[in-house]
Formats: sequence, structure tokens, C-alpha cells
Amino acid sequence: MARQLKITVDYNVCVGNAMCETFAENTFGLNEDRQSYVKNAAGDPEETIIEAAENCPVTAITVEDAETGEILFP
Amino acid sequence: MPANIHDDLFSAEAIRDPYGFFGALRSEAPVHWNEQYRMWVVTSYERLVWTARHPEYFSSEVALRDNAPPSPSIPEEDMELFAAVRQWRAAQFTQNDGAKHKEKRKIVHGYFTPKAMETWRPLVRQTVNDLLDDLQGAGRMDVMHDFATPLTYSIIASLMDIPPSDRNFVKELCGRMCGFDGNQPDRVRMYAEGVQAVTDYLAPIVAERVRDPGDDLLSVICKGEIMGAYTRDEVLANALLLLVAGHETTNDLISNGVLAFAQHSDQFDLLKTDPDAHIVNAVEEVLRFDSPLKSIQRVATRDVDMGDGQQVGKDDRVRWVISSANRDPKVFDDPDGLDITRNPNPHVAFGSGVHHCLGATLARLEGQEAFAELARRFEGFELETDPQDLEYLPSVGQRTLLNLPVSTR
Repeated sequence: MARQLKITVDYNVCVGNAMCETFAENTFGLNEDRQSYVKNAAGDPEETIIEAAENCPVTAITVEDAETGEILFP
Repeated sequence: MPANIHDDLFSAEAIRDPYGFFGALRSEAPVHWNEQYRMWVVTSYERLVWTARHPEYFSSEVALRDNAPPSPSIPEEDMELFAAVRQWRAAQFTQNDGAKHKEKRKIVHGYFTPKAMETWRPLVRQTVNDLLDDLQGAGRMDVMHDFATPLTYSIIASLMDIPPSDRNFVKELCGRMCGFDGNQPDRVRMYAEGVQAVTDYLAPIVAERVRDPGDDLLSVICKGEIMGAYTRDEVLANALLLLVAGHETTNDLISNGVLAFAQHSDQFDLLKTDPDAHIVNAVEEVLRFDSPLKSIQRVATRDVDMGDGQQVGKDDRVRWVISSANRDPKVFDDPDGLDITRNPNPHVAFGSGVHHCLGATLARLEGQEAFAELARRFEGFELETDPQDLEYLPSVGQRTLLNLPVSTR
């Protein structure tokens, strides 16, 4: 079974580019302010979520192993 | 209309000091109908971000949707050419909305991630050093022509794997295209000539890379055709877009920044105390203080209530002003001051929302390497001309110095 992820979006940094949603549409959405939010931390396979975080133009997304706290990105 | 507001976007004063001109608008009428140029002008930070983040109301398909006559006007005999130019501009990936925009942006987006761009830092640093080795002894330079342009062109040429030695040829043609947001009556003709010549230059290289793509940026664009996301016209339009946007705006970042430091020597002194520690925030502040892009146009897709009784109508032109939002006192303390330690600094120099600048990370990287090395090498800069005599491109879109002669200490 896939490990659980903790995904955090830094709202001081997010510019609403929505590339996270483009790469991992089952995990990320846009909120009322048109910034990214995590709608389901297990929405997509881990590598898809990491790819989405890598494609954030302002590195607003942090992905951790929910159990160990290991930072998977950035 | 309040007394201290007028609508002449191309007046000498508006071009020289957009901060005074648009600042007056921001405090009096942050969403203002400009009758002279028949467009809405949005100047407050809050309204700009809201507008930029509602692309379903404010379309980026400007070339296709903006059916109002060119303003300022162009000669009647250029109208046919203008129609062709609109078609050509519509092939740029940026001129799309919604799912189509996502699909077309995705082709090139992955090339520009922060992680991918970081691999170019050593080349940028080496190029900065090579240029400054040649310039340092002279005691003076034209920042725009001697430093910024050779640096940024050399980098985008490396990314695209095209010969850097073609710089002067391509630069001259880019110069013809830069007046598109200007007021010259012959600007459409000039633009079309520039597009044609650069397209002729790129077409054989593109044909070859579609056949045998590498991993350079131009090949990445060509792969868009192989994957069926771009037509050949779109490949050429996007290649030209990234070639031009990939260096012109960064020239402005570097030149406007040196000018800011020449006029705020205390901030340059502070940067010099520890360039590595200050450089990230310093570049963000330069981007905020005198942004390379002054404004961006959209077209309303429907009637929109902008608040304060302002009703944007369907198909109206809407132009949001970065230069003004970045000086909004509701968001930035001492907005007209240069403070290289400002943090957080939520400027909108790269726009906001789904069309946020594709090349932002590259621009930041080049700015960081350029200003850090200038701070290591020089004590300061003095303008060789009266600040009042500095000439800017007469454009509502770009904040471009025509020359920036400085003596260096």
C-alpha cells in the first residue's frame, strides 16, 4: 500500500498558476482566491504529486511522508 | 474625471514616470475607463490580482477577440496587414484560455521549472563574469547594450541551441517588434517585418529539429508538433515568442535595476556588504520597484461588475497595470522606496494566475547572478546623463530604457 503524504501549500508564495492542478488534477484544486489547495492528498500516485510540486513555478508546494516527516519535495 | 487624471497613456510624462501617472489613477479611480484609448485601466493591486485570477471573465485570446479598431490608430492601408498580424499572434500559446491554454503551456512549462533552471546557473555566472571582465577596466558602460543584452541573448541562445553570434541580426528585428504596444503609426508594418524575418531565420532550424529533436528548448517546442499539440505555425510563433520574451524583458530587469541602484546608492552599499545573503530579496525588490512589464491586456468575455459602480462590458478591452499595483500603499510599506530587504514582497512583476510568466525562474536567476557580481566588482554607478533625459520606449506595455550610459567606480 502506498505511503501517506502530507502536502502543504504556502499561501504567501502561491500565485495561482494552477500547474499543480494540471499535473495532478485529483490531488490539487483552486480555492476561492484562486490559489492551490489539496483536495485529496492521495488523489494521484506519489510520483505524479511530486511532478506537480516540481512544476510549481514558485516552489509553493511541500510534500512529506506523513508518518516519518521525511521531506520528499523540494 | 478628477482634475489630476488624464487619459494620454503616451504623454511624455506617462512614459517617463508611469508611477506618478498610474499612481494618480490608483488613488482616484482604480478601475478607470480610458476614453481616449477605449479601454479599462486597472491600477490597484487587489483588482489586478482579482482580474488576473479570473481568466474566465478576462480572456487572453486578445489577438482574436479584440475587434475594436487599433488605438492609437494606424493607416487604413495597414489594416489588412493588421488582420494577418492578429492571426499570427493568435498562434502564441499565451493567447489561449482554459483547457487549450493548459495543454499548450504544458509542452514548454516543464522546461522552466525551478529545479531545471538551476542547472543553467553555472553558465549564467560564467557569462556574467566573462562580460564584466571585459567591461570592468573601461570605467563606463552602456548597461543595456554592453552588459544586459549580450548576457540575456547569449543565455536564451544557449537554451534554444541557436548561434549567439546572430545576436545583432535578431536584436535589430526584435527591436521592430517591440513597438507593437506603442503609438507609432507604422508599428504594425514594423512588427510584421520583424516577425517575417525572424520566422524565415527560425524556419529551417525548426524543420530540422522536428525531424531530429534534441533536448534544447527549441526542440521542446518542436516536440509539441510531434505530439500533435502545436501546428508548425504555432511552433514558429512560440519559438519566436520565447526567443524575444526570453531576453527583452530580462534586459529591462537588469537595466532598470542598475538605474535603481545608481539612484539609491545606500541600497547598493547594503547589497555589497553581503551579496549572497541579500541577492534573492534584492532582485525581487528590483522587480517590484521598476518592473520590466508595465501592463498586460485582456478582453472581457462577459459583463463584469468591478465594484465601485464600474461595469465592464462584454468585449471591452481591459488593461491591468503592474507598475501601479507594485506601488500600491495598501500592500507595500513605503511603496516608492527601494528596500532590498523587503520580505515578504508579493509583487506582480510576473503577473498572477494561470498566465504567470513562464520564464520567471530564468529571469530571477539571471538577475541574481548579474546583480550579485556587479555588487562584488563595483563600488557604484553614476549616470552619465541627466535622469530627466533618459529615454524610454514609447510603449504602454514595456518599461524599456533605450540606453543606460553609466560610469562605474
